[in-house]
Amino acid sequence: MTAAAPPKLALKAVTQRFGETLALSPTDLSVRAGEFVSVVGPSGCGKSTMFNIIAGVLQPSGGSVLIDGRDVTGRAGEVGYMLQKDLLLPWRTVLDNIVLGALLKGKAGPKERAEGVALARRYGLGDFINHYPSALSGGMRQRAALMRTLAMHRDVLLLDEPFGALDSQTRFAMQQWLLSVWERERRTIVFVTHDIDEAVFLSDRVVVMSPRPGRIREVIEVPIPRPRPVSALTSPVFSTIKQRIIDLIYENTPALEPAHV
Amino acid sequence: MSERYALLLKILYPVVALVLVIAGWALAVDAFEIPRYVMPSPMDVANHIADDWPALVKGFGQTFMEFLLGFLFGAIAGFVFAVLMDASRPVRGILYPVLITSQAIPIVAISAALTIWLGFGLAPKLVIVALVVFFPVVVNVLDGLASVDKDILNLVRSMGASRFSIFRHVKLPATYTPLFSALKLSATFSVTGAVIAEWTASTSGGIGAYLLQANSRLNTAGTFAAIVFLALLGLVSFLLVIAAEYWLTPWRSGSKARRWSPSYWKD
Repeated sequence: MTAAAPPKLALKAVTQRFGETLALSPTDLSVRAGEFVSVVGPSGCGKSTMFNIIAGVLQPSGGSVLIDGRDVTGRAGEVGYMLQKDLLLPWRTVLDNIVLGALLKGKAGPKERAEGVALARRYGLGDFINHYPSALSGGMRQRAALMRTLAMHRDVLLLDEPFGALDSQTRFAMQQWLLSVWERERRTIVFVTHDIDEAVFLSDRVVVMSPRPGRIREVIEVPIPRPRPVSALTSPVFSTIKQRIIDLIYENTPALEPAHV
Repeated sequence: MSERYALLLKILYPVVALVLVIAGWALAVDAFEIPRYVMPSPMDVANHIADDWPALVKGFGQTFMEFLLGFLFGAIAGFVFAVLMDASRPVRGILYPVLITSQAIPIVAISAALTIWLGFGLAPKLVIVALVVFFPVVVNVLDGLASVDKDILNLVRSMGASRFSIFRHVKLPATYTPLFSALKLSATFSVTGAVIAEWTASTSGGIGAYLLQANSRLNTAGTFAAIVFLALLGLVSFLLVIAAEYWLTPWRSGSKARRWSPSYWKD
């Protein structure tokens, strides 16, 4: 890391305690501009805590979050984020939901709305601009939610299991769609997931976390060239990386006693 | 074509039901030779309505006014109370038991006291009608406000929304669905409230007062004419709420924004 270009997103000794529990032990992480980083780990590994701290909705007990070298610790609205739940407002049209950020600030003028329409058309929701979210399928709702995040004009996007509630076919289509969006928009993405295949397929690097206390176990590079074809999922590199992640996640899990099996 | 047919049936069924009830009524009165002062025939009632049309219409207007003003007053007051209770825990803690207790008191009992306090004019009627609407609105709106997804609140906060903006764009619209269920339930009850208020202090000349007078003179045709107008009033009040709901919550009655709405994007 050169002094001239600070990482797009950096965590410096970010720590979170809830009472006696150490939810996240001091954690450092830096993400380059335009990089796609996934975070995987079993439940209780602190990934949601880390997510909320980066999103700025949780004030960490210690450490700081930097964007472009700027301290944004505990400040909401510095990154765009998206959850497994699409959180679309049912009483707003798809377009209004996409431009929600501007709408909330009373700035949803013709320019912002035209931009929202362009986003919807570019990424496959052009026919649903005037529909209410109830008319959309699960995959379409997640697309609308991602467009809402894109329309916020934040360089860093934080996605917390955005496709976790979708069936596997839709999910796979959405992963490829997300990659095409990312390649075009060139934003920095931090992607939290349970799904190891998803993490490896999408990312430049995979951050593996482990519980008690929550911490980063290892950061693994994914040297598969982009654009990644579907066949990448069955390539030897892919399997090796996947195996490594599985080993890291399950190495601390005690084997079940025979009596309990 | 089939859509128009379905709509036709939707209108036809209630009409058929109405005709059947009136025909059955007419036949029963004739067949069992029921005295007119016990049960008038539909024709008697129709004649009475034609004869006393101006008085009935005036009464209808009066009672409708009491209903409309009282209903709006009660709904708005209930809404404001709910918002205050949602915003402040102490306010909620203090008001909730008061509200519950107030609901335990029969309206009729309050009606007498209100006449003493507020006289024979419009005021006590408005208060009674408002009281009928008030409680369901408070409870339902409070539910609506409390049921807003915490993640949505976090999201809009992270988008930099002010408290007012969150209220206007997230919390307020979330109350519409429960608000309208409360209003639909209490619309017809409010008409009852207006009638009860008129019975207690009947100088206003509403339909309730008309009914009371007709009844005391054993004028059953007049009583039934009043009942017809009250039924009409109940229907009108209910339809008004439905119309307001259709207008204010377009996302519940269609999958697309309406063309004239400011949200609708036209190229």
